[in-house]
Amino acid sequence: MKIARRQLRLLLLLGAVVGCWGIPEGSSGYSFGETGGKNGNCPGCHSAPGKISDKRFIDPVIYAQTTHARIGCPSCHDSIAGNHQAQKGSSAKADCTKCHGDILSEYAASSHGGKAPCSGCHDPHRARTTVNVSGAEINRMCSGCHDRYRMIAVHSEWLPQADLHVDMLPCVTCHTGSRDYVITMYIVNRKGGERFGKLELAPYDELKKHAGERDILSLVDSNGDGYISLAELRLFNSAHQSDPLRLKAMMTPERVTHSFQILDNRRNCTFCHASGPGAMQTSYLAVPQSDGTLQRIAVEKGAVIDALYATPDFYMTGATRNATLNKIGGMIIAGGLIMPVGHGFLRFLTRKNRKEKENGHE
Amino acid sequence: MSDKKRIYLQPSPVRIWHWVNAFGIVTLCISGAQIRFPEYIHVLGSYRNSIVVHNWAGIIVALSFSLWFFYYTLFAKTIMKIYVPNAEDLKRGLFRQAIFYFLQYFFGQPNPHHATPENKFNPMQKSAYLAIMFVLVPLVSLTGILLMNVSPLRELVLMAGGLKILVGSHFLLACSLGAFLFTHVYLATLGKTPLAYFKPMVTGWEEVEEDEHHAPHGHVEQRTS
Repeated sequence: MKIARRQLRLLLLLGAVVGCWGIPEGSSGYSFGETGGKNGNCPGCHSAPGKISDKRFIDPVIYAQTTHARIGCPSCHDSIAGNHQAQKGSSAKADCTKCHGDILSEYAASSHGGKAPCSGCHDPHRARTTVNVSGAEINRMCSGCHDRYRMIAVHSEWLPQADLHVDMLPCVTCHTGSRDYVITMYIVNRKGGERFGKLELAPYDELKKHAGERDILSLVDSNGDGYISLAELRLFNSAHQSDPLRLKAMMTPERVTHSFQILDNRRNCTFCHASGPGAMQTSYLAVPQSDGTLQRIAVEKGAVIDALYATPDFYMTGATRNATLNKIGGMIIAGGLIMPVGHGFLRFLTRKNRKEKENGHE
Repeated sequence: MSDKKRIYLQPSPVRIWHWVNAFGIVTLCISGAQIRFPEYIHVLGSYRNSIVVHNWAGIIVALSFSLWFFYYTLFAKTIMKIYVPNAEDLKRGLFRQAIFYFLQYFFGQPNPHHATPENKFNPMQKSAYLAIMFVLVPLVSLTGILLMNVSPLRELVLMAGGLKILVGSHFLLACSLGAFLFTHVYLATLGKTPLAYFKPMVTGWEEVEEDEHHAPHGHVEQRTS
């Protein structure tokens, strides 16, 4: 019992040290994994529709999933007094450098530095970790300033099928020093339920309708083991051929940096297109959750290299070629050589017969 | 001393089409191989080059195919006669030609088929070209056009079963065309001399022995050698 109390004390002490590490100046508390009490009375107004303008409304469900919710509103908005409604001209702007100084330094040195503040791309009240943001959402952020059609036109000057690349890659894949690429699959459906509507990431509510009482992950993970096998992928793709749900895959970086730049090596297509069947082995399925986050689960290795049905709509030339198809193709070509080689050999052996006939004819 | 006749076997539109097609398909095979196996094949330099060359060669071959199709259907109006085997071809011609290629040829027997402008191809050639020109080339062109325009033609790609089906089909069809090339070029060397069958596709004229030439039609010249 004594030992248990001692361990508990030690744990509390360790927790206090870790919790206090890097407390921003002026913050009232800093403890990851706990949100209770950190946000004070702020949600009373800022998360109450009707009490506050849309611009200052903070969705409590989405905000609760952010790391910022865990450090609390005063950590960033320390200059705001409790009765700030009565104060005019008070600035509630946060200073991101307090916690994210290293990222800011990296960002400032990049080609993007000075072009947009942090809030130009990130809403701090909705900020999520990289794995919780879909590639399409990242591109939506970028398209706030970089018009999609203009970007397609600019990339088309050198990039074949620029529209396809813009759809299949988050911009940061090529325009930052991001690395450790994986294939992330998302469930998409037709926009507005129209027959030929644009394929977009299916929102949680839409998927919930399809899943019914079950967890939406069960749409793909049919045996519920938290792992997607190739058989489950094939089952999903064959079961949903006639309905609007499909799988869309994007190449996404695991580690994202803020070093925005135009990288010359990304203009070399073989940066992505020459990995061969050995690469492109790691893939995940990301499905939206009711709180706005994405749940990501591992997919069996080799899903994007599977010949036909595991990822029927995803193919990267050179990188995801299928070894079995290569062998069949090789056999077909070898079949074409049977005539020149086999017949040619017999032709060589029997050349005298034809010579004699020709001489006799003459 | 024997009489030789020259038949105008391959009109210039056919020759132009043939060589455009030939160079186009060889270019497609090389660039396609680099696109699929970029770690091992670098014939065209960068990967982007191979994509650009492949796309342009594909467009040229597809246009060339259209030229061929419209020439034979609308202008020459002989597409069915030249390319589709008739009942006699299927009953006896195929067998007779196979016996020649795989047996009689080795004993110096003459080719049972004699080319004329109206009957250029032997029954085996007809069957092969029917499959090549009416199935392989249209399908490989169609899958290629879809793969060249994935985003704008996304709905058609999905209707076809997805990118993987298209890529797999395109690859295997292309391998079949590549296999055909080897056989085609080899068979073209089985004339009186190895280049005898190549000459008509360059000059348009084929030289035939008097006794080989059965009731020729069209443009014929006679000379003594």
